Amino acid sequence: MGQIYVEGWAPDYGSPMQTDGALAEPEKVDEDVEVAGRWAPIVGVDDGVAEVVFVDGVRRVDARLTLDDPTDGPIAGLCGTYAVGAVGWDRRAGRSTYLPSRVARLALFGSGKVAEVPVAGPRLAYRSESVAETDPAALVQRFHGAMRKAEAALSEELVRSGRFVVADGPINDLSATEKVGFIKSHRAPYLSSERRAVVARLATGQRTPLFLIGAGGAYPRYSWYFRLADVPRGHAWSGIARAEVSSRLDLATAKRVADRVAAVLPATASQPHIEPRAPQNLVPIAALERELRRLMGDPAFIYRALREAIMRDRIGSGR
Amino acid sequence: MTRPHGVGRVLGTEHTNTREFRVAIDDDEYLQLDDLVVVRTTVPKEGEVRTYGVVTEVEAIYEGAQFESDTHRIADEGILPGAKVRSARVAVTRLEPELWVSADPGEVVERATGTERDKALYVDEMGRPLPVGLGRDGEPVFVDLDFFDGRKGGHMSISGISGVATKTSFALFFLRLLSARPDLVGDAAANLRILVFNVKGEDLLWLDKPNRHFTEDDAIAWAKLGVQPAPFPSVSLWAPPRRRSGDVVIPDTGGRQEGVAAFTWTPREFIDEGLLRFLFTDASDFRNQLAFVQERVQAQLRRYARDVEGMPGAVVLRDPGDGTDPRLPVKVHPGEPVVTDLGTLIEAIEAFLDPADGEPDPRWSGRTQGGTISAFLRRLHAAEHRLGHLIRAGESRRIDRRAAQVTVVGIQSLHDLGQRFVVGALLSETFGEKEGTGRRLPLTVIVLDELNKYAPREGNSPLKEMLVDIAQRGRSLGVLLVGAQQTASRVAPEVMENAAIRVAGRLDAAEAERSEYGWMLPSTRARARLLKPGTMVLSQPAIPVPLVLEFPFPPWATRKEEVADDGGDPFEGI
Repeated sequence: MGQIYVEGWAPDYGSPMQTDGALAEPEKVDEDVEVAGRWAPIVGVDDGVAEVVFVDGVRRVDARLTLDDPTDGPIAGLCGTYAVGAVGWDRRAGRSTYLPSRVARLALFGSGKVAEVPVAGPRLAYRSESVAETDPAALVQRFHGAMRKAEAALSEELVRSGRFVVADGPINDLSATEKVGFIKSHRAPYLSSERRAVVARLATGQRTPLFLIGAGGAYPRYSWYFRLADVPRGHAWSGIARAEVSSRLDLATAKRVADRVAAVLPATASQPHIEPRAPQNLVPIAALERELRRLMGDPAFIYRALREAIMRDRIGSGR
Repeated sequence: MTRPHGVGRVLGTEHTNTREFRVAIDDDEYLQLDDLVVVRTTVPKEGEVRTYGVVTEVEAIYEGAQFESDTHRIADEGILPGAKVRSARVAVTRLEPELWVSADPGEVVERATGTERDKALYVDEMGRPLPVGLGRDGEPVFVDLDFFDGRKGGHMSISGISGVATKTSFALFFLRLLSARPDLVGDAAANLRILVFNVKGEDLLWLDKPNRHFTEDDAIAWAKLGVQPAPFPSVSLWAPPRRRSGDVVIPDTGGRQEGVAAFTWTPREFIDEGLLRFLFTDASDFRNQLAFVQERVQAQLRRYARDVEGMPGAVVLRDPGDGTDPRLPVKVHPGEPVVTDLGTLIEAIEAFLDPADGEPDPRWSGRTQGGTISAFLRRLHAAEHRLGHLIRAGESRRIDRRAAQVTVVGIQSLHDLGQRFVVGALLSETFGEKEGTGRRLPLTVIVLDELNKYAPREGNSPLKEMLVDIAQRGRSLGVLLVGAQQTASRVAPEVMENAAIRVAGRLDAAEAERSEYGWMLPSTRARARLLKPGTMVLSQPAIPVPLVLEFPFPPWATRKEEVADDGGDPFEGI
């Protein structure tokens, strides 16, 4: 069994990467599921939904580790924390509250190796897992996946309790629920150029007709663009966001949900003078991310605690 | 551990220290200004240390709001989650046992009640705690009498803007408690004498009359202080005589005549007690040669004055070198001027200093320049005009401070010069008496409003010297000054510094910022301009932070209209 070392360089070193497969193969798009002919903006409809629940997750690499394996040499590892949570926006009372959240800590090692990371303090126990690959990027990929799974599980629970859920990021499950995936950025061109022009013409609270993404693939879903806010001096797509629901829903339900999202979400759009990612980074989601980061604990404190615990462990074992 | 009086926990987002800490208040509790709290901290090797404190500020904020506009996002639209958090700032008053450690963050903060409250206010360490008002929690606030009656400290200074009528009200309230609690005051209560000057209106001429507006609620407050609410039982009232009233001496008061005695000094008393100096109390009089002339004339008056047969109190001025026994009264020579009042005294002095024919008598003038002599005489004439009616021959009408426990001297009708003269004469008499015995007991308490007029910060006068002397030595001689003023910054610092107990009512905003009020906490200073009548801030050496207290409505009248009808007893059944 190898010895664990905490690397001195910053935990986030080398981490920026595309983790949601946005640059993956372009998916098949059917633009004619709602309106087959000429597209025009559709005005959203607020059906008076009483509560909107926003779900999101955040993650952070707490420390980069190296496992000094006697046979396979240095093996990359990391200690990471993720938190998933939700904000319930009670539209009738005009109040938002944090719903119970979950924080998990994970130690990941490459090359199929697993080593126990000593407990660094109260609520600082890391569950060890391994990935087969040797590439450190695979560790982050796995870590991110774990967070996404936890997000999906939380969304699922909330949906089952009868709530209307808007989750940050694309949806990737198969259940026929009204769970909405909310996508801030526009990386893949889903629409033909003629129909993209309609997106540019959308006013706040309006949406495009539904289009079907990934028909025949693993996660087929209905999607639509809608305008969150008019952004002064912004480009035509500045205030545009995209949303998705599972295509296992019937089309009529999907349309109702799309109308609701187009009408209701603009109220939660953020202001450009406050939020650099305005308006797409919705106020409840931004607040939730801040809260979740806080719940993960102070990174400097955790980093030092980990170093200390691992150092003690090594001294204690006489190596 | 359950804490029945828990109201919150010590805030952990910032350092606590031995001076102050903050409290995150529980959702279903509250703390307000002046509340007393206690925190128990476990100190390694020492065990439990209790930190007592008083709430000096209370705050609330939306946690989760980063920008001011987030307030709307949280409260109106509700799209931003945020929670109201209320906190309180606590100034530490005491650590028990005295181990100077800070309170631990996260510890339960409890309201200090019962014996814990007494500890927070050091009541358990006070030799003789006298309740002097009610705290915001409705419980008594105490003053350690050892710091008033001269054992460890003395004097009280009361500041506050005028018109709110709190300064003298509080002074009298305090004195009423002092005289009504011999059980606490101890041997100092015996023969306690109180000298009160009424300088404005006639507020203090009704101390012996019940107040018709006194209610049962007020009586309950008095009961909490352990005092039966009643007017002052033993009061004598004095006022100067009305001018131009001929041979009949009538006290110069408006609303009340009954029970008020007129006071005057005879020329003999004026000379023997050296009251001449109190005619030169303007701060500017001290700078030039006037003081020299005054002292010389005073000395010569003592030597020259001879009683007159058949005319009590009157004197004639004769050269002491005539060979007769100076203690025996003399017969008036034909044509010899007799001093029967201030006017004739001045004429007699003038005959020596500035005779119509001939040179000034150098034994009187001390070869002072003519200009100074003129200035001296000018001031005498001015004084004659303003307070001449206070000096008259005849039977003695001196103020008898032994006649009652409280002696009220009404000087409101006198000109400033006259007021200073009366105050100077009485203080000198009182202090002289005590200097003679050299004993602290029995105590004499002097209540003097508008202290800035008598002991101003700038300039010098015999009266100011007198007051500074009382402030500095009165403590050991049992002469205690309860001074009041609108602006402490305009009173001689020696007088202010010697007051062990400091009290302030509502203050002018600019005044409250001055260093004279450094004993208040910044939060208390900020609040001092908002204090209601009847609310005071009290500082005493026994407690390191000032306390805010309320004192109840007085059972005695302060105006004629307030006097209860003679028929009914307003305190019946209370």
